[in-house]
Amino acid sequence: MIKQSIIENVLEAALATGGDFSEIFIEDKYANEFVLQSGQIDQSIAGRDFGIGIRIFSGLQSIYTYTNDFSEEGLLAAAKRAALAIKGGASGTIHPLHKEMVTPIHQILRMPNTVEHSRKTAIMRQADSIARNYDPRISQVFVRYLDEQQNVLIANSEGKFVEDTRIYSRLSMRATAEEGTEVQTGFYGPGAHAGFEFIERLDLNHYAGEAARIAVTMLHADECPSGKFPVIIDNEFGGVIFHEACGHGLEATAVAKNNSVFANRIGERVAPEIVTYIDDGTLPNEWGSLNIDDEGEKTRRNVLIENGILKGYLIDKFNARRMNAQPTGSSRRQSYRFNPTSRMTNTFIAPGTSTPADIIASTEYGIYAKYMGGGQVSPSTGDYNFAVMEAYIVKDGKIERPVRGATLIGNGAKTLQLVDRVGNNLAHGAGMCGSLSGSLPVNVGQPMIRVSEITVGGTKGE
Amino acid sequence: MSITQYQKNLLQQAVEAGLTEAEVYYEQKTSFQCTLYEGELDSYETSDDGGLSLRGLYNGKMGYAYTEKVDDDSIAFLIDQVKANADVLDEPEDLSIFEGSEEYAQHSFYNEELEAVSIPEKIECLKAIEQKIRAYDPRIITLDYCILQYYSTERALANSNNLSLSHKENGLVLFLSTVVKQGDELKAGSYLKMTRDFHSLDVDAIAKAAAEEALAHLGEQSIPSSKYPIILRHDAAAELLSTFMPIFSAEKAQKNQSLLKGKEGQQVASDILSLITVPYHPEALSGGNFDGEGVATKQQAIITDGTLQTLLHNRKTAKKDGCESTGHAQRESYKDTLSVAPQNFYIAPGQETQDSLIHSLTEGVLITDLSGLHSGTNSISGDFSVAARGFHIQDGQIASPVKQMTIAGNFFTLLKDIQAISSDLYFLPSGHGSPSFIVKELAVTVE
Repeated sequence: MIKQSIIENVLEAALATGGDFSEIFIEDKYANEFVLQSGQIDQSIAGRDFGIGIRIFSGLQSIYTYTNDFSEEGLLAAAKRAALAIKGGASGTIHPLHKEMVTPIHQILRMPNTVEHSRKTAIMRQADSIARNYDPRISQVFVRYLDEQQNVLIANSEGKFVEDTRIYSRLSMRATAEEGTEVQTGFYGPGAHAGFEFIERLDLNHYAGEAARIAVTMLHADECPSGKFPVIIDNEFGGVIFHEACGHGLEATAVAKNNSVFANRIGERVAPEIVTYIDDGTLPNEWGSLNIDDEGEKTRRNVLIENGILKGYLIDKFNARRMNAQPTGSSRRQSYRFNPTSRMTNTFIAPGTSTPADIIASTEYGIYAKYMGGGQVSPSTGDYNFAVMEAYIVKDGKIERPVRGATLIGNGAKTLQLVDRVGNNLAHGAGMCGSLSGSLPVNVGQPMIRVSEITVGGTKGE
Repeated sequence: MSITQYQKNLLQQAVEAGLTEAEVYYEQKTSFQCTLYEGELDSYETSDDGGLSLRGLYNGKMGYAYTEKVDDDSIAFLIDQVKANADVLDEPEDLSIFEGSEEYAQHSFYNEELEAVSIPEKIECLKAIEQKIRAYDPRIITLDYCILQYYSTERALANSNNLSLSHKENGLVLFLSTVVKQGDELKAGSYLKMTRDFHSLDVDAIAKAAAEEALAHLGEQSIPSSKYPIILRHDAAAELLSTFMPIFSAEKAQKNQSLLKGKEGQQVASDILSLITVPYHPEALSGGNFDGEGVATKQQAIITDGTLQTLLHNRKTAKKDGCESTGHAQRESYKDTLSVAPQNFYIAPGQETQDSLIHSLTEGVLITDLSGLHSGTNSISGDFSVAARGFHIQDGQIASPVKQMTIAGNFFTLLKDIQAISSDLYFLPSGHGSPSFIVKELAVTVE
């Protein structure tokens, strides 16, 4: 994307004032987005994002600058300006750049930019019609199609020089059901680190049908009772609860500064033996997967909690310094506009031995959260909150009536201790995760899980 | 090549390539950000970035494309993409590119003095604040973030109807989050301060506010889950209003996604509630003299004494409803198509103080912080069920901080249930603002 000699000059200029590490991240991204609303394609956007981030380390100080100015003078000026933040010290050495070949783990069969717009919108219309035909009460369907080709080049003063292309495809569907004064919505948004073949192979009847079914089901749901209940969280996107409740607390961003309840606890029991928690950026074509992270490190499978024992953290190059540890291929950023930091890729709870039927049958009274909405956490305290999109009361081992307006609140470390069943039906769900280095595609996953007690907030009172 | 020249070339080539009308929108931003950790500079960021978009009418439909690579090659890319994207749209919408308003207000959104403050001065200011926070109380163990951000942005809109507008703004924002510990209890409290007047920053007052925000939550108690009268503190109230802002958009109403559809002239809120949008407000950092498609902005009453006056319109939604644009075409950046949103949008402050609201309640809950708004709210139905932090009020006094809670209710009902509004108007960086107010009751669930 830029001549190697320019990159070398920029890496060198960045170290002129005493930095000990410099890095350049170049991004050239093409994106297409279409929106279908009220049965019509009413938005279509195409664009090209292009920019360069330069990062310098000086001990435990990190300097970052970014620009869209790709001229050699512009880049050198940016690097020098950033370097001014460093006051003295011996400059690090620049190693000759050594081009590394990336072995693509994620096969792309059909590049989205080779597919006609009309083919993409035809699939959106199909999803719209499936959702509408599900039930006459479906009053509105919103379908969003997205594809991205992100080309990155990463080079650093240690001699790393690597390029990669990331292809993303996603189709999200939101159905609204209306009856009288009641309005409810349902959502499903499958996505993959894959080409258009992913969109073509999607089982639209399932996804669009589910979005519609959720909306219609919730129309006549009772208000959710509030209180402390056993909560059964279904597989796939249900994993978002552990993403928030403990995933963020295992990121070096929080751990390095002791701003996490999991800091300094490697080897300790943090969960029951049935819980194994893994972050794996290598899962073929999964939404959160990458060949290399945004520092150019190969992604890998990181076991974070094994049979309840804390085994590791997600670590980026900068926080590795503070922690005196090695990076784990977990450094990510939304774009060149973000200084990268440790983030999750595809995080999931490993399958256990219980069957979903047994988990439900063994629950006397509780809440079954079939589809989760989003949530968030404060990593320093571990307090989290979640919306449940589709919930049911479980009574005497049976799924009873649907309830709505359920919000789960609690503390991640405590909730983790209260997991008392892990199912055998692991599946992954696609989501976007927002944090310091921007909004990123991540997978959250799990088999069906039961937590013996979570505080459920609802509108009904106890 | 200057950006003005580039815009001209692009417009000219776009028209030659068959676009009947076209518009170029350009944005350039410079920024500085630093964070401190334990007294030391932990990260330091500077940037200089931007991009531009082309919007154009092709076969009666409005195509759209953007680029951040501003070079000659991008001209062909933009024009080709605008055509391809226009082609895929369904109905021609009878749209046009704006010819300009007769008059534009001349508010200034840029402070030269702020621009002149050096980076070392900014770092020193943040260091002083951080030190004061850490020295404030022995229970303060760390700051989980301590960030200063300065930005300066330029925007320029030019179109084939000879309209050419520009805008310049700057601002400074501090984000502070203090972590406190007492026994096993760990609490964090965050505080945000924004200004365009660097020399008005009161280091002691900021440090005190940021520290108290966390300390006040130590010693939390549980209270029974029940329905309580609620005081939403200004910042929590502004967050909630901001989340439900789309209900005031005519675009959402036209797509059947706002229950305020067709309610103009009707009572939709308590008669003590008025809601206003203005292009400029001295307390807010956002705003502009023109909107996303170049329409002059002006003060507008959205709700007056509980009655809905108008929804927010851009030129497209106004045309559909047979009215004038209210100047609320929103362009979040060159990367986004036009939507509808206000610039500064706030609940008009009342006469009472926040304290007098507290004194007026025999029992209730003061909510100071909401989270999970992105997932726990439904702007179509108005239902919300979100995590909250706050304090138990007994006999007109704050009795104790409360354990993590959720509050649940419906925003449309809440608007009608507002019983008293104080004078402490507060703006979020987005320009959405609110004073504190009392809501008759909401369902509160306590952990």
